[in-house]
Amino acid sequence: MRVNPDPYPDLLASVAQTQQQINTDEQEIASGMSVSLPSDNPSAAAVLVQNADQTSQADQFERSIGSIQGEMQNADSTLSSVITSLQQAISLGVEGANGTVNTSDRAAIVTQVQGIQSQLLSLANFTYQGNYVFAGTKTQTTPYVLDPSSPSGVTYQGNSGTNSVTLGNHFTLQTNLPGSQLFSSSGTDMFQSIQDLITSLQSGTGIGTAVTEVSNASSAIDSQRVFYGNALNQLTAQQTYLSTETTQLAQQQNTVGGADLTAVISNLTTAQTSLQATLETIGQTANTNLFEYLK
Amino acid sequence: MSSLNASLASALSGLIADQGAMAATTNNVANVNTPGYSRQEAVLVASDPVVLDPLTFGTGVTLQDVESIRDPILESQIQQQTQAEGQYSTLASALQQTQTNFTASTGDIGTAISNFFDSINQLSTNPSDLSLRQGVLTAAGNVASSFNTTANSLTQQQTSLDLSVVQQVGQINQLSQQIAQLNTQVSNLQNVGENAGTFIDQRQQAIDQLSSLVDVSVIPSDNSLTLTTANGAPLVTGQQSFQLQTQTNSAGLHEIYSQGNNITSQITSGQLGGTLAARDQEIPAILTQLNTLAAGLATSVNNVQIAGYDLNGNPTGATSLSGSPQTPVYLFNPPAATGAAANLSVAMTDPSLIAASSDGTAGSNGNAEAMYALSNQAIIDGQSPTDYYSGIVFNVGNAASNASAEQTASSGVLQQLNDQRAEVSGVSLDEEAANLVQYQNAYSASAQVITAINDMMYATIQMTTLTG
Repeated sequence: MRVNPDPYPDLLASVAQTQQQINTDEQEIASGMSVSLPSDNPSAAAVLVQNADQTSQADQFERSIGSIQGEMQNADSTLSSVITSLQQAISLGVEGANGTVNTSDRAAIVTQVQGIQSQLLSLANFTYQGNYVFAGTKTQTTPYVLDPSSPSGVTYQGNSGTNSVTLGNHFTLQTNLPGSQLFSSSGTDMFQSIQDLITSLQSGTGIGTAVTEVSNASSAIDSQRVFYGNALNQLTAQQTYLSTETTQLAQQQNTVGGADLTAVISNLTTAQTSLQATLETIGQTANTNLFEYLK
Repeated sequence: MSSLNASLASALSGLIADQGAMAATTNNVANVNTPGYSRQEAVLVASDPVVLDPLTFGTGVTLQDVESIRDPILESQIQQQTQAEGQYSTLASALQQTQTNFTASTGDIGTAISNFFDSINQLSTNPSDLSLRQGVLTAAGNVASSFNTTANSLTQQQTSLDLSVVQQVGQINQLSQQIAQLNTQVSNLQNVGENAGTFIDQRQQAIDQLSSLVDVSVIPSDNSLTLTTANGAPLVTGQQSFQLQTQTNSAGLHEIYSQGNNITSQITSGQLGGTLAARDQEIPAILTQLNTLAAGLATSVNNVQIAGYDLNGNPTGATSLSGSPQTPVYLFNPPAATGAAANLSVAMTDPSLIAASSDGTAGSNGNAEAMYALSNQAIIDGQSPTDYYSGIVFNVGNAASNASAEQTASSGVLQQLNDQRAEVSGVSLDEEAANLVQYQNAYSASAQVITAINDMMYATIQMTTLTG
């Protein structure tokens, strides 16, 4: 049988192929990824697009949690201050109810309670990053303003709106409580109770009832404060979940698109050996033909 | 009875035949590296004998022919495989270029869409914050520009493929002309019984080149051949070649005409077939999907945008706060019926116009949440935007990977066929060296015979002289 007398095209094609393999291997080692172009593995490339989106989402949820955490922690500590102030008002009320206290002493107590009233007003109008935290969704409007015509001495200008923010797949969290619910619920209206305390101290009658009113308002706020505590706990739990998810996504990314370095390096070594062998073959082939022996 | 003269003639025929065979060998050695060259073999036959009853005497040797050694079936297989290889290598390299638009980067469409929805999620935490609103507008601008860049890059590629179509048609026409001329030379030689091997080799080489460009079918006839495209559009008939024409269509792309007929869609193989497949099928298919995604995303976002209130409490829909009709305030300019991806753009420059609020208050994030929810809703052909985009990436990658695999396979087969062709037609220097020795020895022997006859004749002449 006649054999192909010209092995060069085959050998050169083999060199090119091996060279290509070496380039691919080196690229994989350099990037650490087996999928650098969609054609390297179309299904994996599609999964990596989704993986990148999910990772980006998870990172964003963590950022959003960070933003919300700040506001909620501040709201929570503001409510704590509100309760402290109300406790002071209760103490003053109890002091004022004591029969040994004279009119001028009560007047001094009234002044102190009025100081607490304005403190409470500023606490209820607490702002965080330019937003009124207890105004419902009317965050650009001062929620409580002094209003002598109102029985409670203030008017609520906010609304009863609440916001919820998506902070995970299938996880949405309510992020605020409106002042109308916190401070102005009928029966436990904080400003009304303080106003009543002031009035009773001024008149000297019904102080005990007014103190009970303030005490009720305080415990109502205290029980509402649980909302913030729960929410903050949920945020922490979600943060933990998201960081686990991010880790899992990174693992998936590595499983789907990462280079198997051991295999790649082994392939590279094989390819380099093969390239060397082919090149040596080419070098030797050049020296053999009958003309060489006919000199 | 034979004569010394007859022997001399026989010996001479040996010298001539060996010289001819030597010429064939020399030509083979000279063409050892000529592409497409088929080795030639001297066909030696014994000359017709002379019968001088009762004896029959040989009259030497005749160099009947110098024959080119080739396998026509193999040649035709090579042509077919060359067409496939041309088609897939062109398609593969086009798609390699296409898919670079879809690799993960900071500016790819997938990342831009993710970042856009992320910016809305961030806005949702503080809907009255102007810098967060500006962030949404910037991210929307990045979505638009990523679509624009990708669509424009695909269109540019289409334009450059269109240029290739024109160039390839030019090459086809040039080769057809060349083959028609070679047909003339081959038939001229063959008509006078000469060996046209060299021209046939050149013609074969030209047909191979033509095959790499377009699907050619070869119909051999006496001393000549006819070439058509696979669908019968004539390229060469005998000594006449037919030029293909190009003409731009309404989309500004070149269509291919043969004898007044549009044959563009019939060309499926060769580099031209590959170029046309990329230009007319693959890239338009990707563009269509990009347009669907761009239009679907923009429309869905707009529909949510016009259902809310801007930062100042004004409704963004078609009815103003006072109840009178107004122009809706869109986030993206409503997508055009065609070229949605290339023309996607952001409609607003004032971030306060983003409708984050669902109740008219500045602090409400209800509508921002609704807009964010789109990221996981089946708003594009039953899929979420990211899932749809990942489908595009899969399609592009799959097309590129398939074309590369086909190219590898067909070039492997082509290489094998070329090896087989070389087994039959390739020049072997060992063989030629052996032939050289053989013919050289035969020539020397014939020359020696002539010397012997010369001696014998001299002896005869001397004899005559002595007698006379």
